[in-house]
Amino acid sequence: MTVNLSTDTRPSAGPAPAAVRRRRRRFDALPYALVTPLALFIVALALIPAGVTIVQSFYRVQELNPPTVFAGLENFRRLFGDSTIRASMENTGLYVVIGVILSTVLGIVMAVTLQRRFRGRSLLIAVLILPWALPGVVEGIVWTGIWDSNTGLLNSVLNSLHLISDYHVFLGQNRLLTIFAIELVQIWQMTPLSTLLILASLQNIPDELYEAAYLDGSSTWAAFRRITLPLARPGIAIAMVQALIATLNVFDQPYVLNGAAQAGASLTEQTYYVSFQNLDFGEGYALSLLITVATLVIALGVVKLVYRPVEY
Amino acid sequence: MPQRRSWGRRLGVLFILLWSLVPLYWALNTSLQTDAQISSKPAHYVPPSPTLHNFHSLLVGSGEIPSTIRRSTINIFVECTAATIITVVLATLAAYAFARMKFRGRTLLFYAVLATMAFPAYTTLIPLYRIMSMFSLVNTYTGIVLVYVSGFLPLATWILHSYMTTLPVAIEEAGQVDGAGRMQVLWRIVLPLAWPGVVSTAIITFLFAWAQFLFPLVLSSDDSTQPLTVAIAALQGRHTVPFGLLSSAGVFAIAVPAVIAVLLNRYIVNGLLSGSVK
Repeated sequence: MTVNLSTDTRPSAGPAPAAVRRRRRRFDALPYALVTPLALFIVALALIPAGVTIVQSFYRVQELNPPTVFAGLENFRRLFGDSTIRASMENTGLYVVIGVILSTVLGIVMAVTLQRRFRGRSLLIAVLILPWALPGVVEGIVWTGIWDSNTGLLNSVLNSLHLISDYHVFLGQNRLLTIFAIELVQIWQMTPLSTLLILASLQNIPDELYEAAYLDGSSTWAAFRRITLPLARPGIAIAMVQALIATLNVFDQPYVLNGAAQAGASLTEQTYYVSFQNLDFGEGYALSLLITVATLVIALGVVKLVYRPVEY
Repeated sequence: MPQRRSWGRRLGVLFILLWSLVPLYWALNTSLQTDAQISSKPAHYVPPSPTLHNFHSLLVGSGEIPSTIRRSTINIFVECTAATIITVVLATLAAYAFARMKFRGRTLLFYAVLATMAFPAYTTLIPLYRIMSMFSLVNTYTGIVLVYVSGFLPLATWILHSYMTTLPVAIEEAGQVDGAGRMQVLWRIVLPLAWPGVVSTAIITFLFAWAQFLFPLVLSSDDSTQPLTVAIAALQGRHTVPFGLLSSAGVFAIAVPAVIAVLLNRYIVNGLLSGSVK
Protein backbone atom coordinates (compact mmCIF):
# COMPACT_ATOMS: atom_id res chain seq x y z
CA MET A 1 0.00 0.00 0.00
CA THR A 2 2.78 2.40 0.85
CA VAL A 3 4.55 1.52 -2.36
CA ASN A 4 1.52 2.70 -4.30
CA LEU A 5 1.38 5.84 -2.21
CA SER A 6 4.45 7.43 -3.73
CA THR A 7 2.83 7.29 -7.17
CA ASP A 8 -0.74 8.00 -6.06
CA THR A 9 0.15 11.21 -4.31
CA ARG A 10 1.67 12.87 -7.36
CA PRO A 11 -0.51 11.79 -10.23
CA SER A 12 -0.14 15.05 -12.17
CA ALA A 13 3.47 15.81 -11.43
CA GLY A 14 4.55 14.43 -14.75
CA PRO A 15 6.96 11.50 -14.81
CA ALA A 16 7.80 10.29 -11.32
CA PRO A 17 11.23 11.38 -10.12
CA ALA A 18 13.94 8.83 -10.58
CA ALA A 19 14.34 8.36 -6.83
CA VAL A 20 10.72 7.31 -6.44
CA ARG A 21 10.92 4.91 -9.35
CA ARG A 22 14.05 3.34 -7.98
CA ARG A 23 12.48 2.97 -4.55
CA ARG A 24 9.50 1.23 -6.03
CA ARG A 25 11.62 -1.45 -7.61
CA ARG A 26 13.88 -1.84 -4.60
CA PHE A 27 13.08 -4.60 -2.15
CA ASP A 28 11.06 -3.12 0.73
CA ALA A 29 12.43 -4.56 3.95
CA LEU A 30 10.34 -2.59 6.45
CA PRO A 31 7.19 -4.80 6.54
CA TYR A 32 9.35 -7.88 7.03
CA ALA A 33 11.18 -6.22 9.87
CA LEU A 34 7.84 -5.34 11.48
CA VAL A 35 6.35 -8.84 11.30
CA THR A 36 9.50 -10.86 12.00
CA PRO A 37 9.13 -10.92 15.81
CA LEU A 38 5.51 -12.04 15.48
CA ALA A 39 6.47 -14.68 12.93
CA LEU A 40 9.28 -16.01 15.13
CA PHE A 41 6.96 -16.34 18.14
CA ILE A 42 4.20 -17.99 16.13
CA VAL A 43 6.50 -20.45 14.40
CA ALA A 44 8.78 -21.33 17.32
CA LEU A 45 6.27 -21.35 20.17
CA ALA A 46 2.96 -22.23 18.50
CA LEU A 47 3.24 -23.94 15.10
CA ILE A 48 6.28 -26.12 15.80
CA PRO A 49 4.94 -27.22 19.22
CA ALA A 50 1.57 -28.02 17.64
CA GLY A 51 3.38 -30.07 14.99
CA VAL A 52 5.36 -31.86 17.69
CA THR A 53 2.11 -32.75 19.47
CA ILE A 54 0.64 -34.23 16.30
CA VAL A 55 3.73 -36.24 15.33
CA GLN A 56 4.81 -37.41 18.76
CA SER A 57 1.37 -38.64 19.76
CA PHE A 58 2.29 -41.63 17.60
CA TYR A 59 5.54 -42.23 19.51
CA ARG A 60 6.39 -43.69 22.85
CA VAL A 61 7.82 -40.69 24.69
CA GLN A 62 8.58 -41.44 28.33
CA GLU A 63 10.93 -39.13 30.16
CA LEU A 64 12.10 -41.84 32.57
CA ASN A 65 12.15 -44.60 30.00
CA PRO A 66 13.99 -43.55 26.85
CA PRO A 67 14.47 -43.93 23.94
CA THR A 68 11.59 -42.44 22.00
CA VAL A 69 10.30 -44.99 19.48
CA PHE A 70 7.48 -45.07 16.96
CA ALA A 71 4.46 -46.73 18.52
CA GLY A 72 1.67 -46.30 15.97
CA LEU A 73 -1.69 -46.03 17.70
CA GLU A 74 -0.43 -47.50 20.98
CA ASN A 75 -0.91 -44.26 22.95
CA PHE A 76 -4.50 -43.90 21.75
CA ARG A 77 -5.22 -47.56 22.47
CA ARG A 78 -3.97 -47.17 26.02
CA LEU A 79 -6.03 -44.01 26.50
CA PHE A 80 -9.27 -45.66 25.49
CA GLY A 81 -8.39 -48.73 27.57
CA ASP A 82 -7.91 -46.63 30.71
CA SER A 83 -11.10 -46.40 32.75
CA THR A 84 -10.02 -43.16 34.49
CA ILE A 85 -9.52 -41.49 31.12
CA ARG A 86 -12.84 -42.81 29.84
CA ALA A 87 -14.53 -41.46 32.96
CA SER A 88 -12.92 -38.07 32.39
CA MET A 89 -14.20 -38.10 28.80
CA GLU A 90 -17.72 -38.49 30.17
CA ASN A 91 -17.06 -35.79 32.76
CA THR A 92 -15.82 -33.41 30.08
CA GLY A 93 -18.91 -34.19 28.00
CA LEU A 94 -21.05 -33.18 30.98
CA TYR A 95 -19.02 -30.00 31.54
CA VAL A 96 -19.51 -29.09 27.88
CA VAL A 97 -23.26 -29.76 27.77
CA ILE A 98 -24.05 -28.04 31.08
CA GLY A 99 -21.65 -25.16 30.42
CA VAL A 100 -22.64 -24.36 26.84
CA ILE A 101 -26.39 -24.55 27.50
CA LEU A 102 -26.43 -22.57 30.75
CA SER A 103 -23.94 -19.88 29.71
CA THR A 104 -25.87 -19.33 26.47
CA VAL A 105 -29.27 -19.16 28.16
CA LEU A 106 -27.97 -16.85 30.90
CA GLY A 107 -26.12 -14.81 28.26
CA ILE A 108 -29.38 -14.31 26.31
CA VAL A 109 -31.26 -13.30 29.48
CA MET A 110 -28.58 -10.80 30.50
CA ALA A 111 -28.14 -9.42 26.97
CA VAL A 112 -31.91 -8.82 26.64
CA THR A 113 -31.82 -7.05 30.02
CA LEU A 114 -29.11 -4.74 28.67
CA GLN A 115 -30.56 -4.36 25.16
CA ARG A 116 -32.06 -0.90 25.65
CA ARG A 117 -30.38 2.11 27.23
CA PHE A 118 -31.35 2.94 30.79
CA ARG A 119 -29.85 4.81 33.69
CA GLY A 120 -26.98 2.91 35.30
CA ARG A 121 -26.59 0.59 32.31
CA SER A 122 -22.86 1.19 31.85
CA LEU A 123 -22.26 0.66 35.55
CA LEU A 124 -24.19 -2.61 35.30
CA ILE A 125 -21.96 -3.68 32.39
CA ALA A 126 -18.92 -2.99 34.60
CA VAL A 127 -20.40 -5.25 37.28
CA LEU A 128 -21.35 -7.82 34.67
CA ILE A 129 -17.81 -8.30 33.32
CA LEU A 130 -16.24 -8.66 36.79
CA PRO A 131 -16.33 -12.49 36.90
CA TRP A 132 -14.83 -12.65 33.40
CA ALA A 133 -11.80 -10.61 34.50
CA LEU A 134 -10.82 -12.79 37.47
CA PRO A 135 -8.48 -15.80 37.45
CA GLY A 136 -10.33 -19.13 37.29
CA VAL A 137 -8.23 -20.58 40.11
CA VAL A 138 -9.17 -17.80 42.48
CA GLU A 139 -12.81 -18.11 41.43
CA GLY A 140 -12.50 -21.73 42.48
CA ILE A 141 -11.33 -20.57 45.93
CA VAL A 142 -14.14 -18.00 46.11
CA TRP A 143 -16.76 -20.64 45.30
CA THR A 144 -15.25 -23.07 47.79
CA GLY A 145 -16.64 -20.61 50.31
CA ILE A 146 -20.10 -21.24 48.86
CA TRP A 147 -20.02 -25.02 48.34
CA ASP A 148 -18.02 -25.94 51.48
CA SER A 149 -19.57 -28.68 53.61
CA ASN A 150 -18.71 -27.03 56.94
CA THR A 151 -18.63 -23.28 56.48
CA GLY A 152 -20.23 -22.81 53.07
CA LEU A 153 -22.79 -20.10 52.31
CA LEU A 154 -25.18 -22.47 50.54
CA ASN A 155 -25.37 -24.91 53.46
CA SER A 156 -25.87 -22.07 55.89
CA VAL A 157 -28.65 -20.44 53.86
CA LEU A 158 -30.48 -23.72 53.17
CA ASN A 159 -30.20 -24.60 56.84
CA SER A 160 -31.43 -21.19 58.01
CA LEU A 161 -34.42 -21.56 55.69
CA HIS A 162 -35.05 -25.04 57.21
CA LEU A 163 -34.74 -26.63 53.78
CA ILE A 164 -32.04 -28.98 55.05
CA SER A 165 -31.36 -30.16 58.59
CA ASP A 166 -27.79 -31.39 58.11
CA TYR A 167 -25.01 -29.75 56.17
CA HIS A 168 -24.46 -31.42 52.80
CA VAL A 169 -21.30 -32.35 50.94
CA PHE A 170 -21.73 -30.83 47.48
CA LEU A 171 -18.30 -31.62 46.09
CA GLY A 172 -16.74 -35.02 45.65
CA GLN A 173 -19.55 -37.41 46.62
CA ASN A 174 -22.20 -37.42 43.93
CA ARG A 175 -20.50 -37.22 40.54
CA LEU A 176 -23.24 -35.33 38.73
CA LEU A 177 -23.66 -32.84 41.57
CA THR A 178 -19.90 -32.33 41.77
CA ILE A 179 -19.66 -31.66 38.06
CA PHE A 180 -22.62 -29.27 38.15
CA ALA A 181 -21.19 -27.36 41.12
CA ILE A 182 -17.77 -27.06 39.46
CA GLU A 183 -19.19 -26.14 36.07
CA LEU A 184 -21.35 -23.43 37.61
CA VAL A 185 -18.12 -21.70 38.64
CA GLN A 186 -16.88 -21.79 35.06
CA ILE A 187 -20.29 -20.61 33.82
CA TRP A 188 -19.94 -17.69 36.23
CA GLN A 189 -16.69 -16.81 34.47
CA MET A 190 -17.85 -17.38 30.87
CA THR A 191 -21.30 -15.78 30.90
CA PRO A 192 -20.10 -12.14 30.78
CA LEU A 193 -18.38 -12.72 27.43
CA SER A 194 -21.40 -14.64 26.10
CA THR A 195 -23.60 -11.73 27.16
CA LEU A 196 -21.40 -9.14 25.43
CA LEU A 197 -21.25 -11.17 22.20
CA ILE A 198 -25.02 -11.65 22.12
CA LEU A 199 -25.60 -8.01 23.13
CA ALA A 200 -23.48 -6.88 20.17
CA SER A 201 -25.89 -8.74 17.85
CA LEU A 202 -28.96 -7.36 19.63
CA GLN A 203 -27.81 -3.79 19.23
CA ASN A 204 -27.86 -4.13 15.45
CA ILE A 205 -31.61 -4.86 15.51
CA PRO A 206 -33.52 -1.75 14.37
CA ASP A 207 -36.12 -0.45 16.86
CA GLU A 208 -38.68 -0.18 14.04
CA LEU A 209 -38.98 -3.96 13.94
CA TYR A 210 -40.19 -4.02 17.54
CA GLU A 211 -42.44 -0.98 17.05
CA ALA A 212 -44.08 -2.64 14.06
CA ALA A 213 -44.54 -5.89 15.96
CA TYR A 214 -46.12 -4.19 18.97
CA LEU A 215 -48.42 -2.15 16.69
CA ASP A 216 -49.58 -5.44 15.23
CA GLY A 217 -50.44 -6.54 18.75
CA SER A 218 -47.52 -8.91 19.35
CA SER A 219 -46.77 -9.82 22.93
CA THR A 220 -43.31 -9.23 24.40
CA TRP A 221 -42.72 -12.96 24.27
CA ALA A 222 -43.74 -13.21 20.62
CA ALA A 223 -41.43 -10.29 19.75
CA PHE A 224 -38.61 -12.04 21.59
CA ARG A 225 -39.18 -15.31 19.74
CA ARG A 226 -39.80 -13.89 16.29
CA ILE A 227 -37.38 -10.92 16.26
CA THR A 228 -34.78 -11.03 19.01
CA LEU A 229 -33.85 -14.70 18.95
CA PRO A 230 -33.48 -15.16 15.17
CA LEU A 231 -31.56 -11.93 14.69
CA ALA A 232 -29.23 -12.69 17.61
CA ARG A 233 -28.08 -15.93 15.98
CA PRO A 234 -24.62 -14.72 14.89
CA GLY A 235 -23.84 -13.56 18.45
CA ILE A 236 -25.31 -16.71 19.97
CA ALA A 237 -23.19 -18.86 17.64
CA ILE A 238 -19.96 -17.10 18.62
CA ALA A 239 -20.93 -17.22 22.30
CA MET A 240 -21.58 -20.96 22.06
CA VAL A 241 -18.25 -21.57 20.32
CA GLN A 242 -16.28 -19.69 22.96
CA ALA A 243 -18.15 -21.57 25.71
CA LEU A 244 -17.48 -24.84 23.92
CA ILE A 245 -13.74 -24.22 23.66
CA ALA A 246 -13.57 -23.13 27.31
CA THR A 247 -15.56 -26.10 28.65
CA LEU A 248 -13.76 -28.72 26.54
CA ASN A 249 -10.51 -27.42 28.03
CA VAL A 250 -11.74 -26.82 31.60
CA PHE A 251 -8.88 -27.19 34.07
CA ASP A 252 -8.59 -24.48 36.74
CA GLN A 253 -12.00 -24.92 38.37
CA PRO A 254 -11.99 -28.73 38.73
CA TYR A 255 -8.31 -28.68 39.76
CA VAL A 256 -9.09 -26.36 42.66
CA LEU A 257 -12.58 -27.54 43.62
CA ASN A 258 -12.06 -31.28 43.25
CA GLY A 259 -9.16 -31.53 45.64
CA ALA A 260 -7.89 -35.04 45.97
CA ALA A 261 -11.23 -36.57 45.02
CA GLN A 262 -11.27 -37.36 41.32
CA ALA A 263 -15.05 -37.39 40.96
CA GLY A 264 -15.14 -34.67 38.32
CA ALA A 265 -11.69 -34.81 36.71
CA SER A 266 -11.65 -33.28 33.23
CA LEU A 267 -9.69 -34.37 30.17
CA THR A 268 -7.27 -31.46 30.47
CA GLU A 269 -6.65 -32.43 34.09
CA GLN A 270 -5.88 -35.99 32.99
CA THR A 271 -3.49 -34.61 30.35
CA TYR A 272 -1.68 -32.80 33.13
CA TYR A 273 -1.53 -35.86 35.38
CA VAL A 274 -0.47 -38.23 32.59
CA SER A 275 2.25 -35.88 31.35
CA PHE A 276 3.62 -34.23 34.44
CA GLN A 277 2.99 -36.78 37.17
CA ASN A 278 3.38 -40.07 35.25
CA LEU A 279 5.82 -38.32 32.87
CA ASP A 280 4.27 -40.21 29.95
CA PHE A 281 4.54 -37.50 27.32
CA GLY A 282 3.46 -39.76 24.45
CA GLU A 283 0.11 -40.45 26.06
CA GLY A 284 -0.16 -36.76 27.00
CA TYR A 285 0.41 -35.75 23.37
CA ALA A 286 -2.25 -38.19 22.23
CA LEU A 287 -4.74 -36.84 24.75
CA SER A 288 -3.99 -33.21 23.78
CA LEU A 289 -4.45 -34.11 20.13
CA LEU A 290 -7.82 -35.75 20.86
CA ILE A 291 -9.04 -32.66 22.75
CA THR A 292 -7.85 -30.35 19.96
CA VAL A 293 -9.50 -32.35 17.21
CA ALA A 294 -12.71 -32.64 19.22
CA THR A 295 -12.68 -28.88 19.85
CA LEU A 296 -12.20 -27.99 16.18
CA VAL A 297 -14.78 -30.49 14.88
CA ILE A 298 -17.50 -29.62 17.40
CA ALA A 299 -16.85 -25.88 17.04
CA LEU A 300 -17.30 -26.12 13.26
CA GLY A 301 -20.47 -28.14 13.83
CA VAL A 302 -21.92 -25.51 16.17
CA VAL A 303 -21.12 -22.73 13.71
CA LYS A 304 -22.81 -24.65 10.87
CA LEU A 305 -25.85 -25.39 13.03
CA VAL A 306 -26.44 -22.03 14.69
CA TYR A 307 -24.76 -19.35 12.62
CA ARG A 308 -26.93 -17.56 10.06
CA PRO A 309 -25.69 -14.36 8.51
CA VAL A 310 -28.24 -11.61 9.14
CA GLU A 311 -29.12 -8.91 6.63
CA TYR A 312 -31.29 -5.93 7.43
CA MET B 1 -42.00 0.18 24.65
CA PRO B 2 -39.57 0.52 27.53
CA GLN B 3 -42.40 0.33 30.06
CA ARG B 4 -43.62 -2.92 28.57
CA ARG B 5 -40.57 -4.79 29.70
CA SER B 6 -39.73 -2.73 32.72
CA TRP B 7 -40.55 -5.47 35.26
CA GLY B 8 -38.67 -8.04 33.28
CA ARG B 9 -35.76 -5.68 33.09
CA ARG B 10 -35.77 -4.95 36.81
CA LEU B 11 -35.63 -8.68 37.48
CA GLY B 12 -32.80 -9.01 34.98
CA VAL B 13 -30.85 -6.15 36.57
CA LEU B 14 -31.31 -7.67 40.01
CA PHE B 15 -30.18 -11.05 38.70
CA ILE B 16 -27.01 -9.63 37.11
CA LEU B 17 -26.13 -7.79 40.33
CA LEU B 18 -26.66 -10.82 42.58
CA TRP B 19 -24.98 -13.23 40.16
CA SER B 20 -21.83 -11.11 39.82
CA LEU B 21 -21.52 -9.77 43.32
CA VAL B 22 -22.73 -12.37 45.84
CA PRO B 23 -19.73 -14.72 45.45
CA LEU B 24 -17.34 -11.77 45.63
CA TYR B 25 -19.12 -10.35 48.65
CA TRP B 26 -18.89 -13.72 50.33
CA ALA B 27 -15.12 -13.95 49.79
CA LEU B 28 -14.66 -10.44 51.15
CA ASN B 29 -16.94 -11.21 54.11
CA THR B 30 -14.93 -14.33 54.94
CA SER B 31 -11.62 -12.52 54.67
CA LEU B 32 -12.74 -9.97 57.27
CA GLN B 33 -13.50 -12.58 59.94
CA THR B 34 -11.41 -14.60 62.35
CA ASP B 35 -11.19 -18.34 61.79
CA ALA B 36 -13.47 -18.96 64.77
CA GLN B 37 -16.13 -16.67 63.30
CA ILE B 38 -15.81 -18.30 59.87
CA SER B 39 -16.60 -21.74 61.25
CA SER B 40 -19.75 -20.70 63.10
CA LYS B 41 -23.08 -22.28 62.12
CA PRO B 42 -25.06 -20.59 60.73
CA ALA B 43 -22.47 -18.45 59.01
CA HIS B 44 -22.12 -14.72 59.75
CA TYR B 45 -23.66 -12.95 56.76
CA VAL B 46 -21.83 -9.78 57.73
CA PRO B 47 -18.57 -9.78 59.69
CA PRO B 48 -19.57 -9.48 63.40
CA SER B 49 -16.40 -7.56 64.20
CA PRO B 50 -14.61 -6.76 60.93
CA THR B 51 -10.90 -7.36 61.25
CA LEU B 52 -8.00 -6.80 58.87
CA HIS B 53 -6.04 -9.39 60.78
CA ASN B 54 -5.80 -11.81 57.82
CA PHE B 55 -4.57 -9.10 55.46
CA HIS B 56 -2.18 -7.86 58.09
CA SER B 57 -0.57 -11.26 58.50
CA LEU B 58 -0.31 -11.65 54.72
CA LEU B 59 1.31 -8.26 54.21
CA VAL B 60 3.73 -8.03 57.11
CA GLY B 61 3.51 -11.37 58.92
CA SER B 62 6.44 -13.71 59.11
CA GLY B 63 6.20 -17.40 58.34
CA GLU B 64 6.12 -19.48 55.21
CA ILE B 65 2.63 -18.74 53.90
CA PRO B 66 2.78 -14.92 54.00
CA SER B 67 6.25 -14.84 52.47
CA THR B 68 5.16 -17.20 49.67
CA ILE B 69 2.14 -15.00 48.95
CA ARG B 70 4.25 -11.83 48.96
CA ARG B 71 6.90 -13.32 46.71
CA SER B 72 4.32 -14.67 44.26
CA THR B 73 2.59 -11.27 44.18
CA ILE B 74 5.83 -9.69 43.02
CA ASN B 75 6.25 -12.51 40.49
CA ILE B 76 2.78 -12.09 39.00
CA PHE B 77 3.32 -8.33 38.61
CA VAL B 78 6.69 -8.80 36.92
CA GLU B 79 5.44 -11.51 34.57
CA CYS B 80 2.18 -9.79 33.62
CA THR B 81 3.79 -6.40 33.06
CA ALA B 82 6.65 -7.77 30.96
CA ALA B 83 4.32 -9.96 28.90
CA THR B 84 1.91 -7.06 28.34
CA ILE B 85 4.56 -4.58 27.21
CA ILE B 86 6.28 -7.01 24.84
CA THR B 87 2.98 -8.27 23.43
CA VAL B 88 1.57 -4.80 22.77
CA VAL B 89 4.77 -3.47 21.16
CA LEU B 90 5.23 -6.47 18.86
CA ALA B 91 1.52 -6.65 18.03
CA THR B 92 1.42 -2.94 17.16
CA LEU B 93 4.35 -3.27 14.74
CA ALA B 94 2.92 -6.36 13.09
CA ALA B 95 -0.64 -4.99 12.94
CA TYR B 96 0.66 -1.82 11.24
CA ALA B 97 2.43 -3.89 8.62
CA PHE B 98 -0.65 -6.07 8.05
CA ALA B 99 -2.98 -3.09 7.87
CA ARG B 100 -0.93 -0.72 5.73
CA MET B 101 1.76 -2.52 3.73
CA LYS B 102 1.87 -5.11 0.99
CA PHE B 103 4.52 -7.79 1.18
CA ARG B 104 5.03 -11.36 0.06
CA GLY B 105 3.68 -13.88 2.51
CA ARG B 106 1.33 -11.39 4.17
CA THR B 107 -1.80 -13.48 3.68
CA LEU B 108 -0.03 -16.69 4.64
CA LEU B 109 1.32 -15.23 7.88
CA PHE B 110 -2.00 -13.63 8.71
CA TYR B 111 -3.79 -16.95 8.32
CA ALA B 112 -1.11 -18.63 10.45
CA VAL B 113 -1.85 -16.08 13.20
CA LEU B 114 -5.59 -16.76 12.92
CA ALA B 115 -5.00 -20.52 12.93
CA THR B 116 -3.10 -20.38 16.21
CA MET B 117 -6.10 -18.59 17.73
CA ALA B 118 -8.39 -21.41 16.63
CA PHE B 119 -6.75 -24.26 18.48
CA PRO B 120 -6.84 -24.61 22.25
CA ALA B 121 -3.77 -23.24 24.02
CA TYR B 122 -3.20 -26.47 25.91
CA THR B 123 -2.36 -28.28 22.64
CA THR B 124 1.13 -26.85 22.93
CA LEU B 125 1.67 -27.30 26.68
CA ILE B 126 3.88 -30.40 26.66
CA PRO B 127 6.09 -29.33 23.70
CA LEU B 128 6.52 -25.88 25.25
CA TYR B 129 7.60 -27.47 28.52
CA ARG B 130 10.15 -29.60 26.69
CA ILE B 131 11.45 -26.66 24.63
CA MET B 132 11.80 -24.55 27.76
CA SER B 133 13.61 -27.29 29.66
CA MET B 134 15.90 -27.82 26.67
CA PHE B 135 16.99 -24.18 26.97
CA SER B 136 16.99 -24.26 30.82
CA LEU B 137 14.16 -21.71 30.89
CA VAL B 138 11.84 -23.61 33.23
CA ASN B 139 11.34 -21.62 36.44
CA THR B 140 12.67 -18.41 34.94
CA TYR B 141 10.87 -15.14 34.23
CA THR B 142 12.16 -15.28 30.63
CA GLY B 143 10.61 -18.67 29.99
CA ILE B 144 7.13 -17.90 31.27
CA VAL B 145 7.07 -14.45 29.64
CA LEU B 146 8.07 -15.93 26.26
CA VAL B 147 5.21 -18.42 26.53
CA TYR B 148 2.72 -15.72 27.54
CA VAL B 149 3.77 -13.49 24.65
CA SER B 150 3.43 -16.33 22.15
CA GLY B 151 -0.02 -17.09 23.53
CA PHE B 152 -1.35 -13.52 23.56
CA LEU B 153 0.27 -12.12 20.38
CA PRO B 154 -2.27 -13.53 17.92
CA LEU B 155 -5.31 -12.00 19.67
CA ALA B 156 -3.46 -8.72 20.31
CA THR B 157 -2.41 -8.47 16.65
CA TRP B 158 -5.95 -9.26 15.57
CA ILE B 159 -7.54 -6.59 17.80
CA LEU B 160 -5.02 -3.91 16.78
CA HIS B 161 -5.35 -4.86 13.12
CA SER B 162 -9.14 -4.42 13.34
CA TYR B 163 -8.62 -0.97 14.89
CA MET B 164 -6.02 0.19 12.39
CA THR B 165 -7.98 -0.88 9.32
CA THR B 166 -10.86 1.35 10.45
CA LEU B 167 -8.61 4.44 10.56
CA PRO B 168 -8.78 6.72 7.50
CA VAL B 169 -5.70 6.29 5.29
CA ALA B 170 -5.88 9.91 4.09
CA ILE B 171 -4.30 11.37 7.23
CA GLU B 172 -1.36 9.00 6.98
CA GLU B 173 -0.93 9.82 3.29
CA ALA B 174 -0.84 13.50 4.16
CA GLY B 175 1.87 12.74 6.68
CA GLN B 176 3.90 10.91 4.06
CA VAL B 177 3.52 13.73 1.59
CA ASP B 178 4.94 15.99 4.28
CA GLY B 179 8.01 13.81 4.21
CA ALA B 180 7.47 11.72 7.32
CA GLY B 181 8.89 8.21 7.10
CA ARG B 182 6.58 5.26 7.64
CA MET B 183 7.80 4.65 11.20
CA GLN B 184 7.23 8.33 11.95
CA VAL B 185 3.72 8.01 10.53
CA LEU B 186 3.15 5.03 12.81
CA TRP B 187 4.49 6.87 15.84
CA ARG B 188 2.97 10.33 15.27
CA ILE B 189 -0.26 9.61 13.41
CA VAL B 190 -1.38 5.98 13.64
CA LEU B 191 -0.57 5.36 17.30
CA PRO B 192 -2.41 8.42 18.67
CA LEU B 193 -5.45 7.55 16.54
CA ALA B 194 -5.36 3.87 17.44
CA TRP B 195 -4.65 4.62 21.10
CA PRO B 196 -7.99 3.29 22.45
CA GLY B 197 -7.25 0.03 20.66
CA VAL B 198 -3.75 -0.09 22.12
CA VAL B 199 -5.13 0.48 25.62
CA SER B 200 -7.81 -2.21 25.12
CA THR B 201 -5.20 -4.67 23.93
CA ALA B 202 -2.89 -3.91 26.85
CA ILE B 203 -5.68 -4.32 29.42
CA ILE B 204 -6.98 -7.56 27.93
CA THR B 205 -3.46 -8.99 27.67
CA PHE B 206 -2.68 -8.05 31.27
CA LEU B 207 -5.92 -9.64 32.53
CA PHE B 208 -5.27 -12.83 30.53
CA ALA B 209 -1.74 -13.02 31.91
CA TRP B 210 -2.98 -12.44 35.45
CA ALA B 211 -5.47 -15.30 35.10
CA GLN B 212 -2.97 -17.90 33.84
CA PHE B 213 -2.72 -21.08 35.82
CA LEU B 214 -1.88 -24.31 34.00
CA PHE B 215 1.06 -22.88 32.05
CA PRO B 216 2.83 -21.40 35.09
CA LEU B 217 1.90 -24.51 37.10
CA VAL B 218 4.03 -26.47 34.64
CA LEU B 219 6.60 -23.87 33.62
CA SER B 220 7.25 -21.84 36.77
CA SER B 221 6.09 -23.63 39.86
CA ASP B 222 8.98 -23.08 42.27
CA ASP B 223 8.93 -20.28 44.81
CA SER B 224 11.22 -17.95 42.89
CA THR B 225 8.93 -17.47 39.87
CA GLN B 226 5.48 -18.90 40.65
CA PRO B 227 2.68 -16.33 40.19
CA LEU B 228 0.04 -15.65 42.83
CA THR B 229 -2.50 -17.96 41.15
CA VAL B 230 -0.20 -20.98 41.44
CA ALA B 231 0.77 -20.11 45.02
CA ILE B 232 -2.87 -19.82 46.11
CA ALA B 233 -3.86 -23.11 44.49
CA ALA B 234 -0.94 -24.82 46.23
CA LEU B 235 -2.09 -23.43 49.59
CA GLN B 236 -5.63 -24.58 48.95
CA GLY B 237 -4.37 -28.10 48.29
CA ARG B 238 -2.92 -28.25 51.81
CA HIS B 239 -5.87 -28.68 54.12
CA THR B 240 -4.08 -27.18 57.10
CA VAL B 241 -4.18 -23.64 55.75
CA PRO B 242 -6.69 -21.48 57.65
CA PHE B 243 -9.63 -20.45 55.48
CA GLY B 244 -9.45 -16.81 56.54
CA LEU B 245 -5.90 -16.53 55.28
CA LEU B 246 -6.80 -18.34 52.06
CA SER B 247 -9.78 -16.03 51.47
CA SER B 248 -7.76 -12.91 52.04
CA ALA B 249 -5.09 -14.19 49.64
CA GLY B 250 -7.92 -14.76 47.16
CA VAL B 251 -9.25 -11.23 47.69
CA PHE B 252 -5.69 -10.05 47.11
CA ALA B 253 -5.53 -11.82 43.75
CA ILE B 254 -8.98 -10.55 42.79
CA ALA B 255 -8.44 -6.91 43.73
CA VAL B 256 -6.17 -5.91 40.84
CA PRO B 257 -8.21 -7.38 37.96
CA ALA B 258 -11.47 -6.29 39.64
CA VAL B 259 -10.38 -2.65 39.86
CA ILE B 260 -9.17 -2.75 36.25
CA ALA B 261 -12.43 -4.31 35.08
CA VAL B 262 -14.65 -1.79 36.85
CA LEU B 263 -12.67 1.34 35.98
CA LEU B 264 -11.68 0.44 32.42
CA ASN B 265 -14.64 -1.73 31.39
CA ARG B 266 -15.34 0.35 28.28
CA TYR B 267 -11.92 -0.49 26.83
CA ILE B 268 -12.39 -4.15 27.67
CA VAL B 269 -15.83 -4.35 26.06
CA ASN B 270 -14.65 -2.59 22.90
CA GLY B 271 -11.51 -4.69 22.64
CA LEU B 272 -13.32 -7.99 23.18
CA LEU B 273 -15.99 -7.16 20.64
CA SER B 274 -13.60 -5.93 17.96
CA GLY B 275 -11.50 -9.03 18.56
CA SER B 276 -14.23 -11.58 18.25
CA VAL B 277 -17.07 -10.22 16.16
CA LYS B 278 -15.47 -8.60 13.17
